[in-house]
Amino acid sequence: MRIEIDEDLCCGAGTCVLLAPDVFDQNDEDGTVILLDAAPGEEQRAAVEEAASRCPTAVIRIA
Amino acid sequence: MTPLRYPDGHIGRLVTGLQTARSVLGDTRFSSLPAGKRSPVKVPGSELSTDALPPGMFVNMDPPEHTRYRRLLSKHFTIRRVRELRPRIQEMTDRLLDEMESAAGPVDLVQAFAKPLPTLVTSELLGLPEADRSQFGHHVDVLFSLSSSGEEMQQSMMGLGGMLTALIAAARKDPGPDILGRLTLETDLTDEELLGITIVLLIAGLETTTNMLALGTYALLRHPDQLAALRADWTLMDDAVEELLRYLSVVQIGPIRVAAEDFEFEGQSVRKGEVVTVSLPAANRDPLGFEAPDTFDIRRGPSRHLAFGSGPHQCMGHHLARLELAIGYESLLRRFPRLELAVPAEEIGTREMMVTYGVLGLPVRW
Repeated sequence: MRIEIDEDLCCGAGTCVLLAPDVFDQNDEDGTVILLDAAPGEEQRAAVEEAASRCPTAVIRIA
Repeated sequence: MTPLRYPDGHIGRLVTGLQTARSVLGDTRFSSLPAGKRSPVKVPGSELSTDALPPGMFVNMDPPEHTRYRRLLSKHFTIRRVRELRPRIQEMTDRLLDEMESAAGPVDLVQAFAKPLPTLVTSELLGLPEADRSQFGHHVDVLFSLSSSGEEMQQSMMGLGGMLTALIAAARKDPGPDILGRLTLETDLTDEELLGITIVLLIAGLETTTNMLALGTYALLRHPDQLAALRADWTLMDDAVEELLRYLSVVQIGPIRVAAEDFEFEGQSVRKGEVVTVSLPAANRDPLGFEAPDTFDIRRGPSRHLAFGSGPHQCMGHHLARLELAIGYESLLRRFPRLELAVPAEEIGTREMMVTYGVLGLPVRW
């Protein structure tokens, strides 16, 4: 699984960090997403998919 | 998305489906700029002109202007930052409950708890000195009250504006660790922008949280089986908060957008200037999005409700709101194991035709 983020559109809600804290973090300077792991293992798939579908600006893409 | 006639005859749209609501709120062709915006129903304040709003009120902006303000503020509402606030919010909550417990008879939970808690939290975030907090609370109370006269509202508007202007001046002179202090140090925002931002934070953070705290408690008292389940297992608290947010959806009117251009949207032709109102309560009870949507069930588990909206304008304070609610409900219910309504449920009045739904008062005893 590969994850891509459109950082320009991230609104810093931090929803992804709640759902998949091993994959996403939040920048302390502007709240935007930090991708901790761009290619997480399959065990993260459910959490990452949930994060992608609940991201308010839909900036998380799973390839 | 269905056609909707607005009070002045304008034919716009109403969105009631969960998926469409998400799509509309995430699509900036549906603009947040105030020009042409109308409320689908007459609510207090909806006829006020937006021409004289101070700059910095980013709720009425589109990207990239909106993004600039949002980025400057988001750092104060990250999960990490909000988690650091937990002990302080717990302390403030416990102090309010101490005062409430010392009262002999039934108390109005709105006045004793639901209103002061978010006011205290917000005061602290903004760096409002302890001595000014009761005055601040009074102004906020008047401005958000249905029973205030025009004259009282005008006075409190002036009073609050004066307090906030003085607060911003004080933050410039001697910046503290609070949001305003940090913003004066770390950004090039003008005093007028800071005023606009502060007003947005107040509007967003106070009335919504107050009504969720009181109405949520009412909902739990009216569903004894759910309340008993929660009392038996406090680990259900976070799920209970999510379900209360979904089931109650206190933001009853809006978000409202205006189509910025002609375009095709989900098979419909949208015309520039059309006003589109999203109904969050309807979206949050969409049978396609939620099983048995009218059932209040704290064991529903993770849900994709839109109580905080969606898209670039999704509530920035959602982590803070969730924390205040979780601490508020749990501390209240633990403190008073026999909490109950002090009047028959039929006597509890509700806020009709207001942007934010809630109870007018909630007399409780224990």
